[in-house]
Parts: sequence; C-alpha cells; structure tokens
Amino acid sequence: MNFLKKLVPQAAAEVQQLSRSSIHTSVVCCRVQSGRYRITTKRNRALTYEMANPPHFIGHRKSWNSWNTSTLKDALRPSQTAIEDVFIRKFVTGTWHALVCSEIIIKRQHNTIRIAALIRQAITPRKMYFLIGYTEELLSYWMQCPVTLELQTVGDKKDVVFKYI
Amino acid sequence: MYLSRQLRLLPRANIARSLSSSGAHYTTAPAEDSHSTIEIPNRIERSPTDILQALAGTVGRDHTAPHYKYHDDPFLIPMSNAAKRTYAMSKESGRKAAKWIKEEHRELFMHQEAQPAVEKFAPSMVYTEDSHVEESSLRQLISQGELKDAVLVYNLLEQKGTSISPDLKQSLLELVCFHNNQEPLPEEYIEERWFMQNNQRRERSAKTWKDGDLAEKLYSEIEPKTPQSYASLIRGMAKYLQCERAYALLQEAGEKQIQLDTNTFNSIIQIVSFLKDTAEQRWQLCTELLQEMSQQKLRPNLGTLNSVLQCISTFGNFKLARSAALQVLPEFKQLGVSPSLGTYYYLLIIFCRERGPVSHVIVDILNDIAGKEFQIEHPKDTYFFATAMDVCRNHLHDKSLAKKVNELLHTGKNYDLVGDSFKESIYYRNYLALLCQTESLDDFMLTYDLLVPNIYIPEPGIMEEILRAVEINGGVEYVPRIWSDMVVFDHTHRESLLLYVLRILVDNKPSGESPAQQQLPEQGAKVALDMYEKVEDAIKRLRKVSFTGQMLGDILTLLVRGGNFEKACEVFAHVDKNQHRIPGTPAESALQEFVEASVLEKSPSQALVVLQYAVENNMDSSALAKRIHEGFTLNEVHLSKLKSLVGESFLDK
Repeated sequence: MNFLKKLVPQAAAEVQQLSRSSIHTSVVCCRVQSGRYRITTKRNRALTYEMANPPHFIGHRKSWNSWNTSTLKDALRPSQTAIEDVFIRKFVTGTWHALVCSEIIIKRQHNTIRIAALIRQAITPRKMYFLIGYTEELLSYWMQCPVTLELQTVGDKKDVVFKYI
Repeated sequence: MYLSRQLRLLPRANIARSLSSSGAHYTTAPAEDSHSTIEIPNRIERSPTDILQALAGTVGRDHTAPHYKYHDDPFLIPMSNAAKRTYAMSKESGRKAAKWIKEEHRELFMHQEAQPAVEKFAPSMVYTEDSHVEESSLRQLISQGELKDAVLVYNLLEQKGTSISPDLKQSLLELVCFHNNQEPLPEEYIEERWFMQNNQRRERSAKTWKDGDLAEKLYSEIEPKTPQSYASLIRGMAKYLQCERAYALLQEAGEKQIQLDTNTFNSIIQIVSFLKDTAEQRWQLCTELLQEMSQQKLRPNLGTLNSVLQCISTFGNFKLARSAALQVLPEFKQLGVSPSLGTYYYLLIIFCRERGPVSHVIVDILNDIAGKEFQIEHPKDTYFFATAMDVCRNHLHDKSLAKKVNELLHTGKNYDLVGDSFKESIYYRNYLALLCQTESLDDFMLTYDLLVPNIYIPEPGIMEEILRAVEINGGVEYVPRIWSDMVVFDHTHRESLLLYVLRILVDNKPSGESPAQQQLPEQGAKVALDMYEKVEDAIKRLRKVSFTGQMLGDILTLLVRGGNFEKACEVFAHVDKNQHRIPGTPAESALQEFVEASVLEKSPSQALVVLQYAVENNMDSSALAKRIHEGFTLNEVHLSKLKSLVGESFLDK
C-alpha cells in the first residue's frame, strides 16, 4: 500500500521508543473494552447479532470478520492485510453511504478477495449494480487482485436488529 | 476421510482379512511377471487455466438461478428483459467510473502490489503533445492495440523528423486499417458488446471508410509498395465498404504483378455484391477472382468458402444460387477446407428462403454436425443457431429438428457461439413459439419452466402465442400462473393480451369436478381483480391501456364466478358511472350472470341498476327483467321501477 510507505519513518521512531519502555505494569485495557457495547439509559441502542456477542464468543456463537491466512506461522503480509481490511471497510461504508447495516466480512482465498455485507434496500437495484461494479473495480485496482462483492439486501434497517440495550 | 469412515463401519475381523488377503496378492504378483516394465506416461503440457477449465466443465448453467453476472439476491434479480439489460449495463458503467477515477487520479494508483505486476491494474501511460517518444514506444503501443495513442505518437515522431522503419509503418497501417482509425470498444466491456448488436445492424450496408485519412497517407508513404501494404489497405477498404476503390486497388496490384494473399482476395469476394448488380454478373466476378487466386497459386481457406457463399446468398435468382452453392461445396471439400458454423449459416439462408421452395438442407446439416463441438472460426459463426431455429420454426415447422438444434447448442462449449443477447432472444423466441404450437401443453410447460424467466423472458408476441396454445388445449388451469408471469414481465399494458387472458378464463367455465379446477373460480376472480386494479392504476398514470366494455364485462363475470360479489358491484358501478368514457358495453351474458348473482345475494336494487343500464344501452332487456321478476319478491318501489324500465305489458305476460 502506498500510504504505508509514508508511515515507515514514523513507525521506525515508535520502535525506538518502545525499546526504551518495554515493560507494562498496567492492566491490558483492550481485552475488556473492544467489541463490547455499553448499555444506554434509555435502552435504545440497537445491536445486530454480531454486535450483541462479545469477542469471546467468536468461533462459538459468531464468526470472524476477516478471513485470511496472514497470521499463520511464516505467513505473508500480516500487517498489510490488516490495514487493507480497514481500508476496504472504510471504502465500502463510505461508498455505500448509509446503506451498509452489518459488519463487512472480508474473505481472502488465493488471490481473490470476497467482501460480504448486508445492504439496505434504500436505492433502486440499478444504482446498486452501479455501485457494485464501481466498488469491485476500484478495489481491485487498489489491491491489484480480483475483488468480488457478495451482498445480501434487507428491506429495513430494523430487520438486522437483534436486541436493544 | 470417506474411506476411513467406511472402514470403521466394517467389523474388525473383516478388515484384517481383506487387508491381509490383498497384501498377499500384492506380494506375489510382481514375482510372476517381473519382466513387464512400468510405463510412465509422457507429461502432458497444461496451460495455467486448464485446471480452472476442467473445474468449470463440471458445472453447467443452473436454470433455477439468474445468470451469474447478476447478484443472487431477490431484490437484485432482474425480472424483465429491460431490467436484465439495465442491471448488467449499470454494473459495467460502475466499472467504467472506477476506471475513470483511476486514470484521473493516477498518482494514487502508482503502487506496485502484485508480483509479477499486472499491467491492467496500473493507470495507462498518457501521451501528450510534448511527451518524449521513441520508436520503441510506438512499437509497444501497436502491439497493445492502442490505436489513439499510437496515432498520436506517430504524429509526434513525424514532427520531430524521426525516421520510422518501414515494417513499423506497415504494422501501424494494419492497425489503422483494421479499426478504420476509430477507437474500438475496449475488450473488457463484455456486457456492452453483448447488448450492443441490436442497434448495429441498421448501419450495415453504408460506406464508413474514411477517405483520404491516415491510412491512405501511411500507404502513400510506404515506398516501394509491398504486397503487405496493398493487402492491408484493400482489406481495410473492403471491411468498411469502400468497395470500388478496394477493387480498383486489387486490379492495380494485379497489373503490377504483386502477389497478394488469400485473405485479401476473401475480403474482395465478400463485397462482390456491392460491386455488381445482377446475380449473373456477381457470379462471374466471383469465379474470375477465384481463378485469379488459382493462377497465383493461392490456397483457399475457410474464409474463402464463407465469402463465396456470402456472395451467393445475395443472389436474387434462387436457382442460380442453389446450383452455385452445390458447385462450390464439393470443390472446397476436395481442397480439405472443413466448414464452420458460419458456412452452414450461409447454406441455410441460401436454401431456405421465404419465397423459395421448401428445402430440407438443415436435416443433412444436423446429421453432419450433431454432437460436434465448435469453436469460433469465422465472424458469422454466431449467426448459425438463431437462423437454424428460425428455419425450424418458419420454414419447416418441425419440432424434432428444433430439439436437435437445441441439443447441438448445449453440446460442449457450443453455447459460446449463441452470439449476443439479441440473437439469443431470437433463438428462444423461435424455439418457444414452435414448441407451443406443436407440443402438448403439459410438455410445453416443462420447457417453459426450464427457460423462463432466468434464461429467456418471453416478449408480448410470444406470450400471445402461449396463450393461444393454452386456449386451444383447454389448459385454463395454467392461466393464473401465466398471468402472474405477465405481471412480473410487465406485459400488463398490452390490451390484446389482457383481453386474451380474460377471454380464456370466461370461455372455459370451470366444471368444479376435476380437482385441478377446483380453485379456479377463486383464482380467476383474483386475476380479474388484479387486472382491474392494474388498469385503473395505468389510467391514472396516463399509460396507453384503458378499459373497454368487453374487458369490464369479463372482469365482472369472473368476479361473480369467484364469489366476490362486493367487488363485482364496485366494478359494475364503475361501468355504470363512466358509460360515456368506456367504449363498448359488457356482453349480455356477463350482465345475466351478474343479475343471477344478485338474485342469490338478495339484492334487488343492484339487479335493477343492471336492468336500467341494459335499457339505456339498447341491449336486450326482457330476459333480465324476467329473471328479476321471478327471482325476487319485489316491493312496490322496485316494481314501479321495473315497470317504468320495461313497460307495463311485460308484467301481464
């Protein structure tokens, strides 16, 4: 990724800093915080099934959002893959503005990237096909590999709400 | 995995025995014939995509799903011909937008991710008036087929006075002649190609060659003239129908003793019909050209065969065309030229003419090529299937032949040769029309279920044919299904179709005995109500369709039969109120059935409104009046109304 190149000097500086203070004594915060949603006073925060299950249910009640082999032993491009996934998520939610109503699942198989999501039926199918073609093509220019969208549509945003907290 | 599961199911002793016995077999076997050598087969060279093709060969077209270019989601599946086209084209237009972004913001797409680099993912090179160019860049552009950039670079090189080698000039000439100096449609836009052909055929027979353009300039610069330069200019002119000059150039080359190649002669033979007017003259010129070829010791190829047949197919004189074609075929067979599907296409249009005698040439063709797999060899190969099906339907009217053609189409990869969306729909149009005329309704519906709607959506004309088949075969139970298909395919604004559906439903009064027809009155009423609402809606939107008296009468009848008296009253009120706007009146039988129903529903005022309507519109009212008089015990008000409508004398009888 070309923006990674810009990050390289910055990352090198961080590495230096890390080597100086490598021991943490505080509790790991991310384990308790990430992927969990706080209950609102009015109990009106809508959660999808995916959001309703905290991370420790991954592999039991729900599944991963990114499917790839980059974190296996001796696997290639772990960090690039993670950042590319972030880019894909941002790109898809921005291109399908206010239409995506689920997490975006990214599956990598060989040289192909398959992107799945639930889309609200708020625009005509014709416009959706335009966006499908546009997203697939532009992401494949960016990632330089075939990209396929595998979308499902839902009639209403409320259709994906699992519970309110 | 599978094997181990199998083993677990067997009793243990059994496994041991079978393993040991087989082990004994293996140990003794080599000892017996140790002289035989193991032959390792030669390695078969595979291309990188062979395994993909092998995998693809295991799956066929799924009739129950839409084509895979569409998204598999109920909301995104196209349901009419217009939607199929729009969706596919929108997707491609999205691709184009992405490409535009890539070219416009090229600095963002300069990164190199793939190993090895994939050229198509990177932005293309931009050449401007002041870019530094060399001969090698021109060579590369020509090899990539980038016409516009190649011409630009050529002009730049000219301005700088760089010398360009003659062979490079020749290849540029070939590129320009091939495309007539017009940017062709990029190869990756397959949908545009698939849907484009419909509009193209109109401009077919007009000259489009650009006179005095770059091609001719390049040609004049090449000195001395080589056979290749002659060939490319002649072929370019012939392709874009600058016929006279192409032929003149050919003659010039002949005078200068320049040896041309077969394909150049083919291109001239193709345009013989533009050079000469009558069949005799054309045939004469054609034979002259062929003789010239044989003098120059040129070996004819498939292109020659097809262009000769194309020339023959333009003959108005049927006898001459047939004898010429029969003369040509064995000669080419002797030469070892094997015909392609395009050849058979020309044979079909030569032999099976609308006003000519009936010819069974297609039977022989199909016997010859049944079960064969074809590849594209000639541009006209894609015309065969649509034409063959057209011959089966309109010329011979033969169901079994049509099935054979269909079988051939689905052999191997032959479906690739179906052409484009237009030819595919012509093919299926003819196929379905033929089947619904010749097959029994139940058999036809099997094919219908297979093809509709994912592979083919019938046009209104074919729908009418299908309805006719339903009417003739008395398959009234299929009508509700067909109606729901019609609604989905957006055929509801065709008045003739609406009337046809109603007529079939009304004329075939369900008996109520057979189990298939038990629900029919209800379904018929539903169809009628649906149609009433659809037309009402269409009138509000100022569409072309409107109510007629007959249509409303049929709807009324169906509603009455379906037991929906309330809605029937509403429909009749509509008829009554808008008498001046609705052309025609409902049939008398419809009114009678309605009165009958109002007798059953004990609603005399409704019945009297009907009677009044009948009287006002000069219809035979005595039967209605009689029925009302007998059916109800009328009170004074109703009785006086009845009297005022049909007169005193009626009651005395």
